Amino acid sequence: MNDMPKRTITFEGQYKKTISGHLFLGVFILLLSFLMGTPSARADDRVVKVGVYENAPKVFTSGSGKPSGIFIDIIEYIAKEEDWELEYVSGTWAEGLDRLARGEIDLMPDVAFTAEREKKYSFHKIQVLSSWFQAYAGRDSGIRSILDLNGKRIAILEKSVQQEAFTRFSEGFGLHIKLVPVPDYKTMFEMAARGDVDAAVTNQFYGAMHARQYGLVDTAVVFEPSALFFAASRNDPKQLLEAIDRHLSVLKKDTHSPYYNSLRRWTSEKVRFKVPLWLQILALIAGIVLFMSLAGSFVLKRQVNARTRELRQINQEMEKRIIERTEKLEQANQKLLAEIEERAKTQKALFISETMYRDLVESANSVILRWTAEGEITFINKFALQFFGFSLEEIIGQNIIGTIVPEVETSGRDLTSLVYNVAKNPKAYEGHVNENIKKNGQRVWVAWTNKPLLDESGQLVEILSIGTDITKLVEAEKELRETMMELDRAKVRAESADRLKSAFLATMSHELRTPLNSIIGFTGILLQRLGGPLNEEQEKQLGMVYNSAKHLLDLINDVLDISKIEAEQLNVVNEPFDLRESIEKVMKSSQPLADKKGIEFSAVIAPEIGWVTSDRRRVEQILLNLISNAIKFTDQGYVRLRGEVRGTDIVIDVRDSGIGIKQEDMGILFNAFQQIESGITRKYDGTGLGLSICKKLAHLLGGEIRVESEWGKGSTFSLILPKEREIV
Amino acid sequence: MKENILVIEDNEQNLYLVKFILEKNSYQVHVATDGQAGIEKATDLKPDLILLDIQLPVMDGYAVAQNLRANPLTAKIPIVAVTSHAMVGDRDKALSSGCNGYIEKPINPDTFISEVELHLIKK
Repeated sequence: MNDMPKRTITFEGQYKKTISGHLFLGVFILLLSFLMGTPSARADDRVVKVGVYENAPKVFTSGSGKPSGIFIDIIEYIAKEEDWELEYVSGTWAEGLDRLARGEIDLMPDVAFTAEREKKYSFHKIQVLSSWFQAYAGRDSGIRSILDLNGKRIAILEKSVQQEAFTRFSEGFGLHIKLVPVPDYKTMFEMAARGDVDAAVTNQFYGAMHARQYGLVDTAVVFEPSALFFAASRNDPKQLLEAIDRHLSVLKKDTHSPYYNSLRRWTSEKVRFKVPLWLQILALIAGIVLFMSLAGSFVLKRQVNARTRELRQINQEMEKRIIERTEKLEQANQKLLAEIEERAKTQKALFISETMYRDLVESANSVILRWTAEGEITFINKFALQFFGFSLEEIIGQNIIGTIVPEVETSGRDLTSLVYNVAKNPKAYEGHVNENIKKNGQRVWVAWTNKPLLDESGQLVEILSIGTDITKLVEAEKELRETMMELDRAKVRAESADRLKSAFLATMSHELRTPLNSIIGFTGILLQRLGGPLNEEQEKQLGMVYNSAKHLLDLINDVLDISKIEAEQLNVVNEPFDLRESIEKVMKSSQPLADKKGIEFSAVIAPEIGWVTSDRRRVEQILLNLISNAIKFTDQGYVRLRGEVRGTDIVIDVRDSGIGIKQEDMGILFNAFQQIESGITRKYDGTGLGLSICKKLAHLLGGEIRVESEWGKGSTFSLILPKEREIV
Repeated sequence: MKENILVIEDNEQNLYLVKFILEKNSYQVHVATDGQAGIEKATDLKPDLILLDIQLPVMDGYAVAQNLRANPLTAKIPIVAVTSHAMVGDRDKALSSGCNGYIEKPINPDTFISEVELHLIKK
């Protein structure tokens, strides 16, 4: 439809007779462009600045320097009606738009509406003209379609919608087109005529009017149909647009209005009516026929072909998009199915989990119940029902006091006030123990955990209590406590017995020694002749008293030692001393015994043996005991000491050639009050405590006593002592 | 006449025994039969050695030793505890109270004098 006026104009220059056809088609356009409008308020400001640029016949400067064109006619008509004072500001298209953007002019004619432009300018609603863009090229350019523009230089109006649109349009076909921005259409056509560019893109109004005079023809490259408007500066401060719409709506209704007059005028300006009317009519008919036959079939066919190609492209594009969209939809669908499946799984899992938790709550080996701050039971699990012996109907809605909580505990504690306190401040009673009661009256002990259940505002709704039956535990605890008390009493008794024993030992020690002190002391000094001369019999008898007293003292000492060791009262000291000196001292005091029996008594002490850390008195006691024993049980031969260092230990062997020990007696050797042989003949003196004490002392000193013996051949007793005794 | 020795001992027989042995060995022997009297005698006489029983009436031997050590007049006199206390810590207790030596009862008449003289020489 919009192609038609352009076609007409194209032929106009060549066949003057087609002017009537032009008129006819002009009317045709106007009828089709018919639009409705609504009246609006007048613009207040009188002076309206209007941009003018060169784009005949829409807007241009005439030979006399006066702004002219379709847009100018329309705005001048409106200005007259609205009493506006128009001021024209000439410039290029781009300058005009810039001025409008800056508010230096109020209106710019011939502006195609785009979303981008709407951000900068304001538009009225009723379009002034419809337009599209077309490429014009020299006759021999060979440009038939958009594809033929690949690699070509194309002149295009600077900052125009077509520049943008053409770029988009050509990129859609993957074409490489060098765009040459030019400030006005006239220059573009001049450049195309000179061959500076291969084609020029203008609107169909301008192209139709001027292409011929530059020897250019239209090509099939047609794009971006657009609606043309007056654009006002942003937000239309002078409120011009409403007036424009109001007038356009009226103008477009009347085919004899200044609007249609202007269209007719500017699309037929150069025509002169020189032929008679009959010829004019004839020519009109011939024109129509010619137009229909030639232009209609030939040109339209080209256009249709071009459009068809475009449509095919669009179609392919659409199909591609449909396929893509379908794929996307399928993907989305699959995703949705997966989500549904997932949801089902989650629900199943939720169900299982819920069932599990219900089971857990119902059959947990704990009492689980919920109750209100007033004490009313709202939930109770199965375990609790079985435990307390109630049915669900019997207990739900009842107060916990009088059902599962007795008013008073056996101990006398007031449970009513306890429950009141728990309800008042469950946090403070997060964990507590109290006596509960079963339906059959049996008292049970339950350890409770309480948790407040709050609503969104933090108000207490209910209390969740979880209880564990600890009756057995409480009973066991009670028993344990009694046992502990019994143990305590026993301990006190034992301790007091121990103290008695110690006191007894101390007393015995003191009391027994005091008389012995006299006996031994006085017999001793008498035997020393300090009391005067003695005859042989007196000396012999006093000697017996003296020896018996000495033996009694040994016995007392041994018994005390054993008792002290067994009562763990014997403390050993830890101090450095010269072991060699101790050995020599013990040997010296034992020498008379050995001499008396006429046996060899000697020692080989390794030079490394010197200072040790232990208890000198106890070490000497052990050595003396071992040596005394050896001498005692040896009638002939020898008693030999050998001292040596083995690692961190010192080993002192006391070896004798005495009677030895039978293998079977080895086991009882160190028992207290055992003297082997004692049962047969009391041949040897001694308390029978010596070895037992030695062994115990050696242990106390961190060492030990070992024995090797052969019956009839002799024995070796070895004292093994750590060089440095460590206190454990 | 040899050195002065003060014997503080409440048991009559023991006192007699010790005194007898010491006098036989030519020492000048002074006696006291309770702790308080012992301290007084020691302060008056300033003997060369004190033999001190532990279990004494009025004031026990440990306290006597501490008193004597605290008094500058008697602080330097050697003290030897002679006691039948033979339980754990008795010896340590005696030594830490200020005694220089310790002779266990019953005394050994064969070695008693040499043990006593050991402390006299130390002086």
